[in-house]
Amino acid sequence: MKALAWIQLLRPRRHALKAALTRGAAKVRVSRLFLFGFVGGAFWLGAFALFFRVLTYFQSVEEFGDILALKLLSMIMITFFTLLIFSSIINSLSHLYLSRDLPLLHSLPIASGQIFYARFAGSCIDSSWMVVIFSLPVFLSFGLIYQAGTGFYLTALTAIILLCLIAQALSSIAVVLGAVLLPAGKIRSLFVILGVMLAIALIVALRLIRPEQLVNPEGFASAVIYLNSLQTLDAPWLPATWITDSLRYALTRSWGQVFFSLSLSLSFFSLLMFINDSLARAFYFKGFSRAQTTPGRLFAPLRFRGKGWETGLFFLSRPARALAAKEIRAFFRDSTQWPQLFLIGALIIIYLYNFSVLPLGSAPVRTVYLQNVFSFLNVGLAAFVLSAIAARFVFPAVSMEGEAFWILKAAPVSMRSFLWMKFFLYYLPLLLLTEALIIISNTLLDVTPFMMALSVITIFFLVPAIVALAVGLGAMYPDFTSENPAMSATSFGGLLFMLVCFALIALVIILQAGPVYRIFMADVHGLRLSFRLLIVSAVSFAAAVLLCLFAVFFPMRLAERKLNKG
Amino acid sequence: MIELIDLSKNYGDTHAVRKLNLRVAAGEIYGFIGPNGAGKTTTIRMMGGIIEPTSGRILIGGSDMHADPVSAKKIIGFVPDRPFLYEKLTGMEFLKFISDIYQVQSSLFPSKAKKLLEQFGLWSWRNEIIAAYSHGMKQRLIIAAALLHDPKVLVIDEPMVGLDPSAVRLVKDILRDLARQDVAIFVSTHTLSIAEDLCHRIGVISKGDLLAQGTLAELNSAARTGDADLEEVFLTLVREA
Ligand SMILES: Nc1ncnc2c1ncn2[C@@H]1O[C@H](COP(=O)(O)OP(=O)(O)O)[C@@H](O)[C@H]1O
Ligand SMILES: [Mg+2]
Repeated sequence: MKALAWIQLLRPRRHALKAALTRGAAKVRVSRLFLFGFVGGAFWLGAFALFFRVLTYFQSVEEFGDILALKLLSMIMITFFTLLIFSSIINSLSHLYLSRDLPLLHSLPIASGQIFYARFAGSCIDSSWMVVIFSLPVFLSFGLIYQAGTGFYLTALTAIILLCLIAQALSSIAVVLGAVLLPAGKIRSLFVILGVMLAIALIVALRLIRPEQLVNPEGFASAVIYLNSLQTLDAPWLPATWITDSLRYALTRSWGQVFFSLSLSLSFFSLLMFINDSLARAFYFKGFSRAQTTPGRLFAPLRFRGKGWETGLFFLSRPARALAAKEIRAFFRDSTQWPQLFLIGALIIIYLYNFSVLPLGSAPVRTVYLQNVFSFLNVGLAAFVLSAIAARFVFPAVSMEGEAFWILKAAPVSMRSFLWMKFFLYYLPLLLLTEALIIISNTLLDVTPFMMALSVITIFFLVPAIVALAVGLGAMYPDFTSENPAMSATSFGGLLFMLVCFALIALVIILQAGPVYRIFMADVHGLRLSFRLLIVSAVSFAAAVLLCLFAVFFPMRLAERKLNKG
Repeated sequence: MIELIDLSKNYGDTHAVRKLNLRVAAGEIYGFIGPNGAGKTTTIRMMGGIIEPTSGRILIGGSDMHADPVSAKKIIGFVPDRPFLYEKLTGMEFLKFISDIYQVQSSLFPSKAKKLLEQFGLWSWRNEIIAAYSHGMKQRLIIAAALLHDPKVLVIDEPMVGLDPSAVRLVKDILRDLARQDVAIFVSTHTLSIAEDLCHRIGVISKGDLLAQGTLAELNSAARTGDADLEEVFLTLVREA
């Protein structure tokens, strides 16, 4: 079985996985497994409950029920397919061309074709396992609603695997070609930019489809227009459509059609693999050699009147300025980092856009009350967005020092100042961003001045707490040897950070919403605010502030102790 | 200038360094030799304040590394064994970063940086990002950076690994020069010839224990090897340990 020797090359992956699962003391291991299991399980169940609810609702819509369900299925498959393409491009690039062990691998007496297949498989697994896991609740809810049998589930499993394989095969063709055609030092940057554009296109497209209209068929002038608008997405040449077809025919037990769709997908995949094989033979090693060129800078250094931009940081102390300048340079010179800013930009624009289309005018009587509820939800949501951004950018901040961390440890800068410098570096921009977000969305919601002030103050205290939690937990669970520290957001510490953030945000909002609700009700009923209510409110607000302050100083303290230990 | 008192470090059950006691005076070059895994890097990392000792004290120019790390680190120039740097910065930007962190007088920086970069043959590379440097070039840049703030104490781990012969000569000359200007230098190596022709005193460490220290003559008497060269002394000491 010489042709399958590449499977041997996957062995280090299995060992690494095993080592990752069994690393650390038994207690840490158990808590890590528990945390991942808990978060994953919660997401999984949440997804299942959501789809099951939506499908049950669709079934209650006369005539259109099945069409709506089918439409939903097709949208999900297109989303999955785009996600798969996006992640397989990024993964193929790193597995096939950039990861650190590749030079060693290429020096071994192994044909580069074998390396290609091993890396192809590795990339495919990395980019698809999550999609596969989260496709299960979708399939399960469809199967349950349509009372499908084993045949459907088998078809679904085959179909999703085929979808992953096709996405990987397409991406690797693109990557292999890109690696020989693109300028040597810029391969990585261009692919990351491409991937990010794809992701932004997906987000915008999903938003423009206006999925909320699926659940609002009455809003359409006539059934005909509605049905027509539902048909616009079908593209017979898209692999995602074949996969959707196989699923829908499996639901109606038209096995001939299922077989046809699956065969179509399989033969397409075979064709892609044939192309991949030829391309890999011709170009893989050549592209790999070119990719070894150190990436040059994409932009010339920014200068203003002959001075570097870092003079703009004059308000910082000298070491803090040096650290900030270093961080900013490293960020903008790492082409896997800064394009993600566009992604965040797109998400924020959509976030605000959603507020501008909220149908608030339709319930005039309760509007004030509703607006206040929305305003609280908005604070929660904005803080949640902030936590996600912090998980991605602030949590890895200490790990980003990587193997070069010795420079700062040997330098006459205490770990405390180091941590606070990191804190302020992220705190200021994130504070501005979140306050802008909350003010704009509250203006769109047209909330009362009281709620506006309360939101602004709440965010003012929540932002430092979340940033400090990110810096602190990031320092307590660092990964200085990772090839891609940005990924540490999905590590144990990263998940822990997200959970702690949710708890903090929820607590702060609960501490505020209670008194606000009672003040509001007293106002509506024309009552005077009782002294007791004022005291309770004051204590409640003070508790929220103290909680935030605690969340700023406690994790920073722990982190300092941990870093001093070395 | 350097004083280690009962310095120990355990990694779990491994005693990497055990009850180490030594002093290095200003103007002295102290060579730290030992086989692989003897505990040299561990000792040096503790001296640089990179890791915390399990027990014992480190005094640098009178400042305790544990009680007042910032004053101690201000006067140390630290060169680790492996040249990990900020890959995205250029060589010049890195030196600027170091000068800001160590608060080197701003007006002196340009001339100092130029002198060091020229000395280490990196001047024409100053505006390239470090990721494009070779191993030896990174090593040279680190040594240049360690000298930027005129340290009173220089702690170097395996300085010659990865350097070409002319750079080895350059580093040796620079170290001798610095010693003449009263810098205390602590250098670990497993290349005995370098220790022999560079160092005033030598300590031999094996499996975490300091076996003997002193001039070559003193080592010879400790090992009872008569008038042998360093290699002979070293092998005898390590074999008997
Ligand atoms: N981070 C670490 N964790 C566990 N053991 C270590 C670590 N670093 C070094 N050691 C152990 O400490 C001992 C001394 O290592 P080191 O100081 O690197 O030796 P040298 O530099 O003299 O070759 C070795 O046995 C090594 O295995
Ligand atoms: Mg060593």
